[in-house]
Amino acid sequence: MSDGALSLLRGLLIGAVAWLTGCSPASRESASEDRIRIVTTTAMIGDVANIIAGERAEVRSLIGEGVDPHLYKPAATDLRLLKAADLVFYNGLMLEGKMGDVLAKIGQRGGHVHAVADDLGPYILQSGPGHADPHVWMDVAGWTRAAQAITATLTAFDPDGAAGYAQRAGTYLEELTKLDAYARDSLASIPAPQRVLVTAHDAFGYMARAYGLEVRGIQGISTESEAGLKDIEGLVRFLVDRKIPAVFVETSVSEKNVQALIEGARAAGHEVRIGGSLFSDAMGAAGSYEGTYLGMIDHNVTTITRALGGNAPEKGLNGKLQ
Amino acid sequence: MNWTPDDTWIALTGALCAMACSLPGCFLVLRKMSMMGDAISHAVLPGLAIAFLVTGERASLPMFLGAAATGVLTAVFTQWITRFGNIDQGAAMGIVFTTLFALGLILIVQAADHVDLDPGCVLYGAIEFITFDTVSLGSTEIPRAALVNGGALLLNLTVIATLYKELRISSFDSGLADTLGFSSGLLHYLLMTLVAVTTVAAFESVGSIIVIAMMIVPPAAALLLTRRLLPMLLLSSAIAGASAVLGHWAALIVPPLIGFERTNTSGMIAFTAGLLFTLAWIFSPTEGLLRRRADALSSADGTT
Repeated sequence: MSDGALSLLRGLLIGAVAWLTGCSPASRESASEDRIRIVTTTAMIGDVANIIAGERAEVRSLIGEGVDPHLYKPAATDLRLLKAADLVFYNGLMLEGKMGDVLAKIGQRGGHVHAVADDLGPYILQSGPGHADPHVWMDVAGWTRAAQAITATLTAFDPDGAAGYAQRAGTYLEELTKLDAYARDSLASIPAPQRVLVTAHDAFGYMARAYGLEVRGIQGISTESEAGLKDIEGLVRFLVDRKIPAVFVETSVSEKNVQALIEGARAAGHEVRIGGSLFSDAMGAAGSYEGTYLGMIDHNVTTITRALGGNAPEKGLNGKLQ
Repeated sequence: MNWTPDDTWIALTGALCAMACSLPGCFLVLRKMSMMGDAISHAVLPGLAIAFLVTGERASLPMFLGAAATGVLTAVFTQWITRFGNIDQGAAMGIVFTTLFALGLILIVQAADHVDLDPGCVLYGAIEFITFDTVSLGSTEIPRAALVNGGALLLNLTVIATLYKELRISSFDSGLADTLGFSSGLLHYLLMTLVAVTTVAAFESVGSIIVIAMMIVPPAAALLLTRRLLPMLLLSSAIAGASAVLGHWAALIVPPLIGFERTNTSGMIAFTAGLLFTLAWIFSPTEGLLRRRADALSSADGTT
């Protein structure tokens, strides 16, 4: 028997004993008794909550990097995280699918659960009659309001920390303002006829509205609906007519449909390239600059601007892009 | 890891769901229609789309009703096509679920392209979170999913117990059943309706993976161990229940041991069922790998 198999067997035995005796190594893991336990669904919300709460809270996000939130499957331990949480933030507007129902139920039973999109009111974009676009983080000005709402919720929950929250939120909001200005200037530097974002699914509605882009999605909002042949044909004609130099892929959506566009345009004698990969439903790897909200938007703005012929520094706003 | 009352509920609900699925699953396996659960998981799409078009919202109840209705239709259409088209049931299922799925896509593109209507988004529940949605019975809080799947199990048990003889004969010899005076076609529709209702109820309360696995794997494992219907039903239920309990336990205990941070309970339940099937395949007294090895050896000895 190999070492790996032996250690697995030993582990299983230890696990069985731990279970039978009702104690385990994990239960002693309580280094942070006095910190507020915050759980968020998306990492975007987690990032903001973490920055504003600072040392006073421990923030965990359920939906990991590169995962489409509509298709998120919970892990066995997520229940424990949610049960132990003092405060839960989620996006809302059906972004989390049926899990939204679960979170709303926790709220009804007196848990501190907060849907970030609930605070955005008239900012919310209606993608159809009665149906809101959940991708609210794509416009920095809108996300600034979400950050303010998170600060207000934290302050109400833990008034003792109010001063710290206000101070950290102030600093962060300044960074968001800078990012918003950077996005506006960079995207405005793209020649007007080419200010078109062609990508796999309609996650960029808020960004388009805020920064004057035209968005063409290949498939609808849902990640499972397929692109029709006519949609692809129409888009190819559009690309050729407007001489759009680049289309974009997304980290959490397959690039198959985008490839079909490139092939189609090539057949019509127009060379389109993949302008880069954008973060839509999820951020980059935890610990990297792209794994923060600022880095995610910086990456998207810089990638779009440069691929469509505008001016933006290669390393982005803060010189940290990979 | 601490085993909490929540874990007991999850394991129990998983076991109820697994057993509820494995009972009609036995008949599906015997009738060579094992992929029915999978077919229904695709075929519910037009039901979701129509429910959305009618109500204009994505609330859970209309989604469930739409899915249940198309689930039953899938079963009925499959039976029609098999009977009147004179083709085998696997092919009939393929025709029905791809057509319904395509119809669903057309409906969504035409009428609801701006809305996320994936079953994964609006229909499938998650077994991990069932204890957040409870119903008070007296002084105890019971997860709604436990009641739903317990109800489905009870319904399946009742129907199978009442019509046991008829179902047995029609499963093995539909001609004989017809000559004995009860319609094997009618029984078949009844069985398929049970499958559809059980499947969609379980989709909504605990998710799709458990259902699809439990309709096939425990009955198939049981069929390796016995050739008689009643022991098959019992063994299959036992394997299904064991898979659920062991699966949830494994989902909590295994990942830290092999360096994974997280595992999913439904996935581990399905995986555990696969392991139990492998054990049955190796050790079955009649069909097992070891038995056949031994037979081959002894017959080789006999010829020399």
